[in-house]
Amino acid sequence: MTFLVTVATGAVGAYCRYLVSGAIQSRSHSDFPLGTLSANLGGALLIGLVAGASDLQSTSTLAAVGFLGGFTTYSTWMIETIRLGMPYLRVRAVINLMVTLILGIGLTVAGYSLTT
Amino acid sequence: MPPRPSTQPPNPDPGHPRLHGLDDLVAVVAGGLVGSAARAGIGFFLPTPIGAFPTGILIINLTGSFLLGLYLVRREQAVMARWSVPFWAFGVLGSFTTFSAFSLDVTRLLADGHALIAAGYIGASTVGGLTAAGLGQRIGLVVR
Repeated sequence: MTFLVTVATGAVGAYCRYLVSGAIQSRSHSDFPLGTLSANLGGALLIGLVAGASDLQSTSTLAAVGFLGGFTTYSTWMIETIRLGMPYLRVRAVINLMVTLILGIGLTVAGYSLTT
Repeated sequence: MPPRPSTQPPNPDPGHPRLHGLDDLVAVVAGGLVGSAARAGIGFFLPTPIGAFPTGILIINLTGSFLLGLYLVRREQAVMARWSVPFWAFGVLGSFTTFSAFSLDVTRLLADGHALIAAGYIGASTVGGLTAAGLGQRIGLVVR
């Protein structure tokens, strides 16, 4: 049951990320990966809110965590950071790395403390 | 687009997606099922005990970063189906790896007073993730 909920909600999360990050990226008129950044920061805030509010065993919490697991992504963040860093854009790579890291963890901490 | 020399970095964005295609929906959701199932499977065998180093998520994120680097380089060297990027990059590997679990594990470690483990986890995830993704790209360029 846990497995099925995680898999199904994760797939929905993946498609939502595809839509959201694509919509933001295509409107940004820049090659800075704002789409992935937005999905990861949004997901980071929501996972903090969810985890602070509830015990992680209930099905609804499981669904939310599964959805956010699929909605956020680590691999795309890493690849986009590397590609910003080559060959002349190293400052932007560091910005993408640090903004996601600091704001992302900050938002999760903030959401977690708000609802705990 | 003219073919790039193999030493040049590929585009930062793994394909600007079209937003309304049914084929995209099927490809991303199918890939998302595979990626989420793999993540849930690894999470089942390597759960993170409270206050412990999140080994399972670290392995997931590093492996996924490596594979995405490998895939995106291979994609630029071969003709692939239109569903390939939505399926592999956005679906399978996008949903296999996760930022929310990473961020939540760091938050829990910090909340429980394990700042040193949290710092080690952040370091291993970022340095390891960048190294793994770069290694994937290198291997994708070298291996035929």
